[in-house]
Amino acid sequence: MTKRGKISLSEEELVHALRHKEKVAAEALYDMYSASLYGVIVRIITDTPTAEDVLQETFVKIWHSFASYSTDKGRLFTWMVNIARNLAIDKIRSKDFKNQNKNQELENNVTFIDEQRNTVYKPELLGIKDLVNTLKPEQKSILELVYFKGYTHVEAADELAIPLGTVKTRLRMGLIELRKYFNES
Amino acid sequence: MIEVEDVKAYIESGILELYVLGDLSPEERLQVQDMASKHPAVKSELGEIEKSMVLYAEENAIEPAEELRHKILNSLVTNLADDRIFSSQPEPVKDNVVQMTAPKQNNFYKYAFAACLALLLASVVVLMNVYSKLQTANTQLIAMNNQNAQYAKTVSFMNDQLGVYRDTTFKIIKLKGMAKHTSSSMLVAFSHSKKKVMIDMADLALPENDQTHQYQLWAIVDKKPVSLGVFDKSSSDTSEMKVMAAVSEPQAFAVTIEPRGGSASPHLDQLVVSNL
Repeated sequence: MTKRGKISLSEEELVHALRHKEKVAAEALYDMYSASLYGVIVRIITDTPTAEDVLQETFVKIWHSFASYSTDKGRLFTWMVNIARNLAIDKIRSKDFKNQNKNQELENNVTFIDEQRNTVYKPELLGIKDLVNTLKPEQKSILELVYFKGYTHVEAADELAIPLGTVKTRLRMGLIELRKYFNES
Repeated sequence: MIEVEDVKAYIESGILELYVLGDLSPEERLQVQDMASKHPAVKSELGEIEKSMVLYAEENAIEPAEELRHKILNSLVTNLADDRIFSSQPEPVKDNVVQMTAPKQNNFYKYAFAACLALLLASVVVLMNVYSKLQTANTQLIAMNNQNAQYAKTVSFMNDQLGVYRDTTFKIIKLKGMAKHTSSSMLVAFSHSKKKVMIDMADLALPENDQTHQYQLWAIVDKKPVSLGVFDKSSSDTSEMKVMAAVSEPQAFAVTIEPRGGSASPHLDQLVVSNL
């Protein structure tokens, strides 16, 4: 992470710079968030060139529609990750992509996701094993579907054949587990 | 207390997680934002969820390829340049350009038209001037031509006149006054071979005749008078040699005063007379 001397700003500074379309804002934005956003995109789109395209589209969209972001709506990353996720889902559901990847249907759920995740997880990322172990399997799968696959909680309930209320509860419990984990470490 | 219970239930409903995941309708989103602004507990819970999401994403972060950074930043900087063009040069600048060119063009054509008109007027004035000068020159030329012709005529006439005196066939006869008219006299030129009679009007020493009478020249042939024509004596007389009727073998010339137009035979006094 320190190979190039990455630019890092506080969230307030970054928001201010982005509002004024300063060049340093573009660099800081990329250095601070490209890996996190790419991590989300890659879990939705396994094809590397397509995932890279989507990452670019994500930054372009963030840059252009930054006026629509307001700090009242929440944290900058939350806004950005939703853009990245939506673009990635749009791409994977588009006709072109479906035709390209006919044999990669989304239907095959948790096991497929797990396999996929295992292949793209970087071994040098520490704490993953602990984190994975922290979450119960049902919490992990719901988080995967909603957070990384862009399923709505209604779709996830369908997918996993569980009631909506259960989806919400599991999601909440999973996130609470995460909080605990992050607070401890 | 009821409110606190409600807020707790709201937090535990899981709606805040869905909010952070962007999995709510726009109405529900506004509701969550409203709750967060009213209840600090909701706001801090939201903050916690967001924070854990950020950390979770960071845990799962994957560094994209090195060359992607340059490519993406370039696309942003290109767009950045576009954005700057649009934001720092808004519509009014375009309007200015349009407004500037339109009057400029108008002015140019206005001035060009005015210049053309002025040039045309100046040309017309100059042309008129030249035309009037040409007219004057033409009239002068005509007048001079006339004068020239006049002179040529005069010169040739004088030559003729002079020729009469030089011609040896002409005899210059002086007619002398008779009886009461002794002061009168005139010159008659007669060429026997050419049978030509002329009188020298310049040398006419006769009293002026009135409107009802004219002088008549007679030739005496075989003792009978033969009319050779009438002539006038006036103050404005030119110095012509007047050619009279032809006659052959005259013995004498005489001039009488006769009624205007002349008479068949002389019946008034002979004024001047000469014998050949």
